[in-house]
Amino acid sequence: MTQEKVREAETGLGRTWERLKSDHYGVGGLFVVVCFALIAICVWIGLLGQGWSEVSGNRWESASSEHWFGTNLLGQDILQRTLFGTATAFEVGLIVTVCSTILGTLMGALAGWYSHSWLDEIVLWIKGVLDSIPFYLFAAAVAFALQGNPWAMHLAMIISFWTTTARIIRGEVMRLKQREFIEAARAIGLPGFITVFRHVLPNTFHILLVQGSIVFVAAINTEVILSFLGLGIKDGVSWGLMLAESSQEVLAGHFGNFVAAGSSLFILLMGFNLLADALQDALDTRRAII
Amino acid sequence: MSTPALKVSQLSIWFESGTDRKYAVDDISFSIDAGEATGLVGESGCGKTMTALAILGLLPASGVHVKSSGIEINGKDISSLSAAQRREILGRDIAMIFQQPGTALDPVFTLGQQISAVYRRHCGGSKEQIRQTMLGSLEAVGFSEPQEIAAAYPHQLSGGMRQLAMIAMATVCKPAVIIADEPTTSLDSSTRALILQQLERLQTLHQTAILLISHDLTIVRQSCSKVMVMYCGRLLEKTDCHSLFSHARHPYSAGLLSCIPRISDTRPSAINSIPGQVPAMADLPPGCHFAPRCPRAEPVCRQSIPPFDSENGQYVACFKPL
Repeated sequence: MTQEKVREAETGLGRTWERLKSDHYGVGGLFVVVCFALIAICVWIGLLGQGWSEVSGNRWESASSEHWFGTNLLGQDILQRTLFGTATAFEVGLIVTVCSTILGTLMGALAGWYSHSWLDEIVLWIKGVLDSIPFYLFAAAVAFALQGNPWAMHLAMIISFWTTTARIIRGEVMRLKQREFIEAARAIGLPGFITVFRHVLPNTFHILLVQGSIVFVAAINTEVILSFLGLGIKDGVSWGLMLAESSQEVLAGHFGNFVAAGSSLFILLMGFNLLADALQDALDTRRAII
Repeated sequence: MSTPALKVSQLSIWFESGTDRKYAVDDISFSIDAGEATGLVGESGCGKTMTALAILGLLPASGVHVKSSGIEINGKDISSLSAAQRREILGRDIAMIFQQPGTALDPVFTLGQQISAVYRRHCGGSKEQIRQTMLGSLEAVGFSEPQEIAAAYPHQLSGGMRQLAMIAMATVCKPAVIIADEPTTSLDSSTRALILQQLERLQTLHQTAILLISHDLTIVRQSCSKVMVMYCGRLLEKTDCHSLFSHARHPYSAGLLSCIPRISDTRPSAINSIPGQVPAMADLPPGCHFAPRCPRAEPVCRQSIPPFDSENGQYVACFKPL
């Protein structure tokens, strides 16, 4: 017997890339994110931004070929500090995204798989409690409780951000577990917890990717706000700290810090949002089939 | 007489509401020999799928009560196994083919990965050996290019191909019993013939016992040697296929047979139906459940349950058989 033709794949990484490529805003966003990521990597391996704490000029020098964005109150080069701030932003973004996504996925899967049981109740209860605390108050409380620990901000963000991921994953798992292939997995004798990891969670991957990029943006954004409030980065420099410095300087007519940190933050977040949006479209299989 | 491949004794499934028991399946017994296909027919909601799920032990643990005096595969009782022991059996000794091949396959894995996973779990072996078995099982259901199918994701295949792949997955461990729950309902008639053909081939090849669940008597006639007619959770007639089609003894079976449209009937009004409706599970009539719709019903039918008696091997539960 000859067999029917296999249809061409409509999903998979190759196809996602194809669709992403045809979205100009998405490609622009990707380009921006990759540029900033490269800067962050160069900072981590010691190629860029190493002079962020050196006093290399006079106070409040204006832009010149030596100091592209000028210098700050202490005479530190603002370009160096901006570059280093990129690495800080990525570090916070990555750590918070990875940790809160893992935590949120596990809790959401647990609650969704055992929905309407006491386990689900407990997860929902914890989620409800965390969601009801105003975030900045919570971050301040964690920072105070940990007495200036540099990880206090990361911890506060992870604890607050996993709940959204958990809620989305819980709903998706509850939907997926009604599907026939989950019953089929039971019918071939697969234990429940293996089914969750092998067949339920892989089917939530596209959601995690999009949700992860949203958390990444939120983490970078929040880091800036927390640092601005003095609750964030302790050892190092971030765009938020630079903006905090600039709040004094702008009144005195020195815009170096403000322009450098503000525009970096704006461009990176804009790029990330465009990318997340394009990714969401590219990964949406329902759209793909139409 | 040899041990039947599948033997179900006195299986009942009920829901409890207050002090009342609502029976979804009421005391049914049957057995299927190795290499034999038996059809289980009945209207929607008569308990066919419940029976299948109960045999596999896949009914939800809460809310549903299952009782039987034994469900045996090759003489081994599986009704009292623990969850872990049962998982050993599922997929290896008894497998199920689902109604919707599109949704019973995980969309994010290739068919090769999914079929291999079943075999690896139950039979094990080296990577190469597993791959060869997987390709072999795809080839056995009639794919001429098994590598191509193995590399494909479910959405790349047509409905018929997916169902063939499902059958390949169900048969990869060469189980003694396969339960096929409406395997061809969502397929067109030419694909249906192909699927039934392959099922039949595998049945003779591996001496598999098949329980074919369907609402369609013509399918059962094509591929089964025996047939059971179910109504409101009870078996009404159990016989070999030929006897049912030549001489159905239960009025319900006869009614079902008369409902099969024939191509030669040209007038639209020639489509028959059984008068009345299937009663809701919550208020089944006493006595014979079919009595209110039965043209031959007498007072006794409404009062007591007819016994399931045989005459020349043709079992029927009726006081007034045809």
